[in-house]
Amino acid sequence: MPPQTLDQILEGRRSQPNQLIEVLQDIQGDYGYIPKEVIQSVSQGLGIPLIEVYRVASFYKAFRLKPPGKNVLTMCMGTACHVRGARLLLDQATVQLGVKQGEVTPDGLFSVEHVNCLGACALGPIVSESGSYHHHMTPTKLRKLIETLRHQKTEAHQNV
Amino acid sequence: MSRLNSFRELEHLRQQLREQRQNITTTVMVCGGTGCQASRSRAVIDAVSDELSRQELDMRVRLCVTGCHGFCEQGPVMIIEPGNVFYCHVSPEDAFEVVYQTVMKGEIIERLLYTDPISGKTARIMSEIPFYRAQDRQILSQNLNVDPCSIEDYIVAGGYSALARVLTSITPEEVIEEIKSSGLRGRGGGGFPTARKWSESRAAPGDEKYVICNADEGDPGAYMDRCVLEGNPHLVLEGMMIGAWAVGARKGYIYVRNEYPLAVKHSRIAVEQARGLGLLGDNILGSSFSFDVDIARGGGAFVCGESTALMASVEGKVGEPRPKDVHTALDGLYHKPTTLNNVETWANVPSIILNGSSWFASKGTQGSKGSKGSKGTKILALTGRIKNTGLVEVAMGTPIRTVVFDIGGGAINGKLVKAVQTGGPSGGCLPVDKFDLAIDFDVLYEAGSMIGSGGMVVMDEETCMVDVAKYFLTFLQDESCGKCLPCRLGIDRMLEMVTDITDGRGRPEQLDLLEELADTVSQTALCGLGKTAPNPVLSTLRYFRPEYEAHIREKKCYAGVCKALITYSIDPDKCNGCGVCLRGCVYGAITGSKKQAHVIDAQLCQKCGICRSECKFDAIQVV
Amino acid sequence: MLQYINVNIDGAIIHATKGTSVLDTAIEYGICIPHLCHVPYLSDIGACRLCIIEHVVNGRSNVTTSCTLKVEEGMVIMTSTDKIRKLRRNLAELLVAQAPNSRAIQDIALRCGVKEVRYPFRNEDCVLCGRCVRVCTEVWKARAIGFVGRGKERHVDFPFGIRPDFCKRCESCIQLCPMTITPCDGPMKPGKERLCGNCESQLIIAEQTPGSCVWCKLGEGFACGRYV
Repeated sequence: MPPQTLDQILEGRRSQPNQLIEVLQDIQGDYGYIPKEVIQSVSQGLGIPLIEVYRVASFYKAFRLKPPGKNVLTMCMGTACHVRGARLLLDQATVQLGVKQGEVTPDGLFSVEHVNCLGACALGPIVSESGSYHHHMTPTKLRKLIETLRHQKTEAHQNV
Repeated sequence: MSRLNSFRELEHLRQQLREQRQNITTTVMVCGGTGCQASRSRAVIDAVSDELSRQELDMRVRLCVTGCHGFCEQGPVMIIEPGNVFYCHVSPEDAFEVVYQTVMKGEIIERLLYTDPISGKTARIMSEIPFYRAQDRQILSQNLNVDPCSIEDYIVAGGYSALARVLTSITPEEVIEEIKSSGLRGRGGGGFPTARKWSESRAAPGDEKYVICNADEGDPGAYMDRCVLEGNPHLVLEGMMIGAWAVGARKGYIYVRNEYPLAVKHSRIAVEQARGLGLLGDNILGSSFSFDVDIARGGGAFVCGESTALMASVEGKVGEPRPKDVHTALDGLYHKPTTLNNVETWANVPSIILNGSSWFASKGTQGSKGSKGSKGTKILALTGRIKNTGLVEVAMGTPIRTVVFDIGGGAINGKLVKAVQTGGPSGGCLPVDKFDLAIDFDVLYEAGSMIGSGGMVVMDEETCMVDVAKYFLTFLQDESCGKCLPCRLGIDRMLEMVTDITDGRGRPEQLDLLEELADTVSQTALCGLGKTAPNPVLSTLRYFRPEYEAHIREKKCYAGVCKALITYSIDPDKCNGCGVCLRGCVYGAITGSKKQAHVIDAQLCQKCGICRSECKFDAIQVV
Repeated sequence: MLQYINVNIDGAIIHATKGTSVLDTAIEYGICIPHLCHVPYLSDIGACRLCIIEHVVNGRSNVTTSCTLKVEEGMVIMTSTDKIRKLRRNLAELLVAQAPNSRAIQDIALRCGVKEVRYPFRNEDCVLCGRCVRVCTEVWKARAIGFVGRGKERHVDFPFGIRPDFCKRCESCIQLCPMTITPCDGPMKPGKERLCGNCESQLIIAEQTPGSCVWCKLGEGFACGRYV
């Protein structure tokens, strides 16, 4: 499904401040992050002070204010995943990619994030990537996954 | 199907649908919940569907994509009726055999049956499996033959008859009385008597009132609500409708957390279908009751599980709690009387109406010291270091021991169970010698923990309890809204001290300061998040103080977790020099020649855990 | 038409105006309850928690903030019990350990009975009291600044960190900020923060008669209710 335009997202919701989170959710879903100009347009479209839109966008973890990497690796840090070693996975990803959480690698390929429980606890530890859940992960499996993803992108690049 | 204008029309539709299915001889139920989907159940569903078409069995065999059955590690899960045959780890390649052998010829495929790891016996049907045998699956069993995206399935199974009964023959006050006699208490964590909340809203002045379903389920390690909402959204809707009738609300919201896209999708579909039949909207089933529901999504904030923060979020604002000197039952969403209940609480309502309050109250505990006890069943998310993880439903009053050992099957890999953590970040850890305690709101609260939403994480000898306290404090610091001083600064300082302890900088006086600060935060914080934030620290200090002291005085982490206090080494007796760890180590910390015992250089070792997870001979030791 | 009701604060029966908060009523009658985020002409948010009191209901006492609690007929309030003073002292200790570099904060700590600080000092320049945000939002309605981020990341900022042109530099935010009231010797050097104790707070008097208003210097520079 092609991403909606901002006008489409705002349709039916203009001047309704209580729709702010739904609007931001749609923007985040379609664009991967919330650009500054969009925050300004949303402020005008919904009739909410600019600082308030900025505040909501910065409060909720679902919204990113900067573009993410091509592959977003999300580690589940829920309790069940934690006791099965999720911390080691996070360390593995940040060390292997050389970035801190929330940052993007210089080549733009990866960013590492965490989420506080995806609700698939019996299959933990879980690493989610582009919506698919990789379960029963270990540091070794994660290392291989990262290399596979990196290889895919470079191949695709070469083919073009 | 067109709009239903009366109770009679609903029953007529139910009859019709049941008659249409009379030719169905076999039902194949495949789990399409989030857990099994991660194990590729979608491919299984497609393969079975194709096979059934190919064999031209569509008319006689019903393929039902259901919600979660709770035994996620065994997924994809498939159940075949008649016969209640339970298959696990089904793959798309098995589709042909399943259809040909079991569906057409009624023969069991042995290799797809569940094998109990302890006894080695295979189980043919669900009730033979130890995991299921000790449970009382009042709510979860309703996931069995209902496709969450099909209102027809729900109606065939008897759905919306509780609503019809209420609208035709029970007054709102009588509904509240019935809920009161049942003893239903909030299933989201508070354990607050549901009827009392409803009465307060009912009595509040004004005719603009709301009901809300809290599906934020922020407790990490808990996914009961996801299962119920994804698997049977109409059950929750029906509960909300009955509640709305009782309190006098005309609008409701289901607030679903952002991390549950499937639950959002299924709830939306359910609402659309209910509207289509006139079960939501004006003059429902020809009565004077008008009610509609919208779905609101969370934005990724644990604090939005708190009622005032949730309501702020529905209003499009930041999820910052506000003081609750006046209850939300009187002053809630848009400052109107609002009844907020958890998914599981709502899900219990229809069966209480249909089966009666005495039926519900017949299960559970009696209570003491002014409390009426805990009634009915509770769904628990049993996870962590045990053999059988998944969703479990037991009667209140069941001892923890039964859940951990009879249902959970005990610890994995022959380790010893050390503790169980209940109630999420607001709860606490209970040691093994407390496992005879019953699952009961007041009993667990007295012991320093709580049922909470139902999360139950089992910990073994390789779990460091100080690290557990650190984990929860880190989580709470991440999720705190930051508005009030005790929560924002208090959690920060508690985490600072616990980190000192896990990093080997702990001092004995910090334990007393930790307790004093924990007590201050619990008494002065603005909302429930802050008030209960000290619980993990307090309960681990209460029951596992020796571990803290070992970290401080001996600078040792006996569970082998805290990186600053452990060393990785190779046991020369077990190592056969295969070299797998050497090749896997990215820090070059392992040396050794082929077929000779290898050695880890402690200076270079970063304790990343790769060698340990690779070694097939259990030769990597952590001390 | 103002309505009056009777409330019991620390044993004194007080003639309170209906609709006011317990904190306002207490200050009006000379009972000093320490506070930080409360400003008489701004809304109360209950963020600093220093104004906590015990509210006795049905034999049970609830600890709650007096700025957000509205007076009601027959209410029983206790502002300076041992429990409250200990809790308040611990909160003030956290506060001064976080941002010692301000006379107002040092004064509050001493006023609340802090004698030692058991946490490593940090040198933050904002205590998130929200006075600046509220004056900009409620009095001037400019909405040029607000709280941004969550939890540990929570801070006060302009939209996108850039001063918008609708900020008219009225400096009301700076006037109300407790961090702009620096200690007498000028700002402390990083690493050399300490619980000063030299500031002119009325600590001794406050210790001897807890709760009674001492017309402290703190209230003067601090827009306490007594000075409006």
